[in-house]
Amino acid sequence: GATKAITMQRGLRVRGVLLDLSGTLHVEDTPTPRAVEAMARLKSSGIPFRFITNTTKEPKCELLARLGRIGFTVGEEEVFTSLTAARRVVEREKLRPLLLLEDSAKRDFEGVSTDEPNSVVVGLAPTHFNYATMNQAFGLLMAGARLIAIHKSKYFKTLDGLSLGPGPFVTALEYASGKTATVVGKPERAFYECVLREMGLGLDMDADGNNCNVTSSSVGECVMIGDDVSLDVHGSQSLGMKGILVKTGKYREGDESTISPPPAAVCNNLAEAVDLILGLSAS
Amino acid sequence: GCGCEIKPRLLGLACMRMSSITKGRRISAVLLDITGVLYESSAGGGREIPGSVGAVESLRKAGYKLKFCTNESQITRKALVSKLRKHGFSLTEEEVHSPAPACRRYLLDNGLRPYLIVHPSALADYEGLDTTSPNAVVLGDATDELSYPNLNKAFRILMNQPGSKLISLGKSRYYQEGDSLTLDVGPFMKALEYATNLEAEVIGKPSKTFFSSALQDLEVEPENAMMIGDDVVSDVGGAQSCGMLGFLVRTGKYRVEDENHATVKPDGIFDNLSQAIQLLLGSKC
Repeated sequence: GATKAITMQRGLRVRGVLLDLSGTLHVEDTPTPRAVEAMARLKSSGIPFRFITNTTKEPKCELLARLGRIGFTVGEEEVFTSLTAARRVVEREKLRPLLLLEDSAKRDFEGVSTDEPNSVVVGLAPTHFNYATMNQAFGLLMAGARLIAIHKSKYFKTLDGLSLGPGPFVTALEYASGKTATVVGKPERAFYECVLREMGLGLDMDADGNNCNVTSSSVGECVMIGDDVSLDVHGSQSLGMKGILVKTGKYREGDESTISPPPAAVCNNLAEAVDLILGLSAS
Repeated sequence: GCGCEIKPRLLGLACMRMSSITKGRRISAVLLDITGVLYESSAGGGREIPGSVGAVESLRKAGYKLKFCTNESQITRKALVSKLRKHGFSLTEEEVHSPAPACRRYLLDNGLRPYLIVHPSALADYEGLDTTSPNAVVLGDATDELSYPNLNKAFRILMNQPGSKLISLGKSRYYQEGDSLTLDVGPFMKALEYATNLEAEVIGKPSKTFFSSALQDLEVEPENAMMIGDDVVSDVGGAQSCGMLGFLVRTGKYRVEDENHATVKPDGIFDNLSQAIQLLLGSKC
């Protein structure tokens, strides 16, 4: 099928590209068609880009190694995960976190002081969702600590069925303490704001990188490429970005009609999305 | 004299204040919360809140009907009575109104086979119930039993069994244990509600049914009863929703913010049970 471009105009200056990983860059251990070559072209175009993912189980180093085995050479600074977003919030607000994260995920917080915590960071952490640790987190919240949640998913699939995600435990802490968690993972607004800021494309910045109060046009010139119409495309478009839906991974026929406004473009795969972006930028 | 314990020169002013406590109602029954009102719970067995033993005795001597209303499910009623007697309180099992009997009845009436997440010491209250192939989950203030594996098991039962029910023995956020606040059953009820999109059946305070059945036992109308507790939502709000007067005491889990709760306005606030009862008994002048 041909690439369908709906609202992406010639002359659109693409200032930044965000790309989903699983289902978009690769499916299991196989790159999507021409993806390696497409990423090389995107890189040489000079357009800033980031791979974004919601995973909280794998630290960056393991993720990069895995992508390497699939055939992609990805730099550490080219990947922005929900854990990265949480770390940025902690650093920016100078917080010392109690990390309810599995050991592997904690590695992405190396260097952050956790003494005398004044915040609680909650990710997918079954070994920490026990009464004693929950009580410890509750005590901190009652003493004024901030509550930060990577995401609030209700459950996830495991080999032996569905298992409780972090969402229920964040809800428990919110109810107990009377506080509302700041959710920082994809597809929260805070997540996109964080990664765009990282790329020098802040929502509060104008086209020349100056701070301004009005929602700037630079966001409208950022593109998100993903296979999840709801999380990737709708999530990013809600912020004013352009979303390109790719027909790989979890894409199902008709997904493009399930969101409003519809995706800015629908492409067969990531390589064709990059073609579209580079084609537009060339004019 | 009238038997007031207030100094004579304050009598006039005090009597004016005291009679407003009962809002002009004829009170014949007093419902009392246990932990945080009668005694403070802690690892070593806890201790009486000063004046509470005497307050209860004064109420009995003055002829008030009594009910001790608690959501606690960490030990059986029998063990709870025994524990309170060691602190000097005199009371019987029949006077303790707890969720376990109502929960049993609810399970049997609805053909439910429960997976119980309650403190091991409280399991005896559920003896004889069929717990095979569970199609219901009962959550209590089970401390360490509220573990990820147990909650996950509960979650799967609720998701996989058609018509499954989530039952929570109260929905309180926290209680006072030793010198700090500790998580109660409420947050874990909310966790499972969030995960499953189910609404829990709350058995115990602040459910109206719980308070109504206590009043039925005493054969007293709501207008002639009052509840005293340290939990502004479960004790005070719950009692008021039933038509009773609800009073808050500044002991146990009480926090200053409770006096400005968004929806619950206590009919009175006292430093402790002893002060409340002195004023109540003084109001008979």
